Amino acid sequence: MPETDENRRDPLPLREVERLVELLRESGVGEIRVRRGETEISVKARPEATTPQAIQGLPETVEPETSPEMDGLHAVRSPVVGTFYRAPAPGEGAYVEVGDAVSAGQTLCIVEAMKLMNEIVADVSGEVVEVLAENAGGVEYDQPLFYLRPDEQ
Amino acid sequence: MIGKVLVANRGEIALRVIRACRELGIRSVAVYSTADRESLHHELADESVCIGPPPAASSYLNIPAIISAAELTGADAVHPGYGFLAENARFAEICERVGLTFVGPDSRTIARMGDKAEARETAAAAGVPVTPGSDGPCGSVREVKRLGAELGYPLVIKASAGGGGKGMRVVESEAQVEEAYLGASREAGANFGDGSVYVEKYVRSLRHVEMQVLADSHGTTVTFPERDCSIQRRYQKLIEESPAPGLPEDVRAGLVEASERLVGSLGYEGAGTVEFVYAGGQFNFIEMNTRLQVEHCVTEMVCGVDIVAEQLKVASGERLEVPPEALAPDGHAIEFRINAEDPGRNFLPQAGLVEVYNPPGGPGVRVDSHLYAGYRVPPHYDSLLAKLIVHARDREAAIRRGIRALDEFAISGMETTLPLHLAVLEDEEFRRGGVTTSFLAERELESEGGLLRLNAISG
Repeated sequence: MPETDENRRDPLPLREVERLVELLRESGVGEIRVRRGETEISVKARPEATTPQAIQGLPETVEPETSPEMDGLHAVRSPVVGTFYRAPAPGEGAYVEVGDAVSAGQTLCIVEAMKLMNEIVADVSGEVVEVLAENAGGVEYDQPLFYLRPDEQ
Repeated sequence: MIGKVLVANRGEIALRVIRACRELGIRSVAVYSTADRESLHHELADESVCIGPPPAASSYLNIPAIISAAELTGADAVHPGYGFLAENARFAEICERVGLTFVGPDSRTIARMGDKAEARETAAAAGVPVTPGSDGPCGSVREVKRLGAELGYPLVIKASAGGGGKGMRVVESEAQVEEAYLGASREAGANFGDGSVYVEKYVRSLRHVEMQVLADSHGTTVTFPERDCSIQRRYQKLIEESPAPGLPEDVRAGLVEASERLVGSLGYEGAGTVEFVYAGGQFNFIEMNTRLQVEHCVTEMVCGVDIVAEQLKVASGERLEVPPEALAPDGHAIEFRINAEDPGRNFLPQAGLVEVYNPPGGPGVRVDSHLYAGYRVPPHYDSLLAKLIVHARDREAAIRRGIRALDEFAISGMETTLPLHLAVLEDEEFRRGGVTTSFLAERELESEGGLLRLNAISG
């Protein structure tokens, strides 16, 4: 059957917008603007969606265990599959210990994937309540690594 | 033998590979996205690793995450299934470099057959008939016009890096060449990042016939009986059967010989499919898929082989174990792809909760599916819900069994292609056999008392 030109029949490039939204989510940047001919598309993230910890597309109901997050604890999750390290290098002290006060942006650990060291930072300020992964063990995407008790605002 | 296989896929094909691993005593590792937390492949594998968020680009196509998952779990091989990374030469090359066995041919062969213009040249050089057209990629409007003058219209322009009808234009006359060439090239560039195209003589009425091959590293190649995949919608296969109805014996022999020539010239290893078009008593090569295909099951049913198990054995360096009698088809098998699409509303994709799931059973019926009642079909991936394969002593009996099994098959919660398949089986021309790929385009669907029916479009 002969192909029809979809672009001509569909003046709104919905597919491209969808791709941009995906790109925006994955990259974590705040805004993407694209211009092609007379069409200009701009995609902006909602402020809370720009942190790397915002997990997109999960059904709201999914929170498998009756989690400590209900007690006001905040989970810092792994953004990649890799190996979890608590210290910057072997023999050095851990970035953080239980009971430490951390501020947003402070490095908590490293997750190494394909020889790349990914520093995982706290996305809120608070107190380290629990370390959930084992040093030098494997972690999967979205696995909770730390529980923090966020500071009172 | 391979000890542990990471299955870099989801859905029914991930289950298919995990099942083969179990029977061979190989451990399996599933990878899954956060949208697939409730999926069966994650439940049934020996181990599983969450590799990313729902979009495939960040999970099932995320090479670093998949390689990391293989390292963490100590997998020594990767089975890519079909789709996703199955024909990604770069992924195969990375596996080779980090010492993971990629279950499939080497990365160079994948790249060579992935470039459709180069695949055509390779086939022609091996003495395999190809549809008349350009030698390799076609670089200009003038070149297309020259071919048009030489071969006559209509022509079809296709993307070298393409597939699935993207970057493809039919040209009826010289006046249409310029627009079609530029359009195809632009679309190919947008979809595949490579705008190069090639040209073939366009044949309006043809059948899609393909050959399943398996080759080991000891120089043994087997070629199974042909499959006919002519029931398609927009270049997507819907029904596949083996053997092809009414194919003359000399054509069948010619297809086997042509496939073996190409596979031999490539020094191929693993499972693959050589695809041909067949019209007017002639067959011509179109492309080779360097992976397991969705419809491998029809061959398994008529030949009594386990193609996935053979793939894993070949990847382990073992010899193929296919007895010669397996190469002669026993009876007839037909596969129906049950997709989450609404045939009553222009095949609109469906997603959501599967409320009831009752697959058919009984003699000669096989269902490969990842569904269960209570499963939520995520909107992020392809629409295949289940494959129903029926097997009987001849085609007529297989059709009757297909109608019986499709009638039994209950999926509620979303619309599926089940009623479309029933309508195809009721069609007189289909029952006679040997229909062409324009079968569905030439008919319209009509709803009659809750059933779908196909009517020829008049004129």
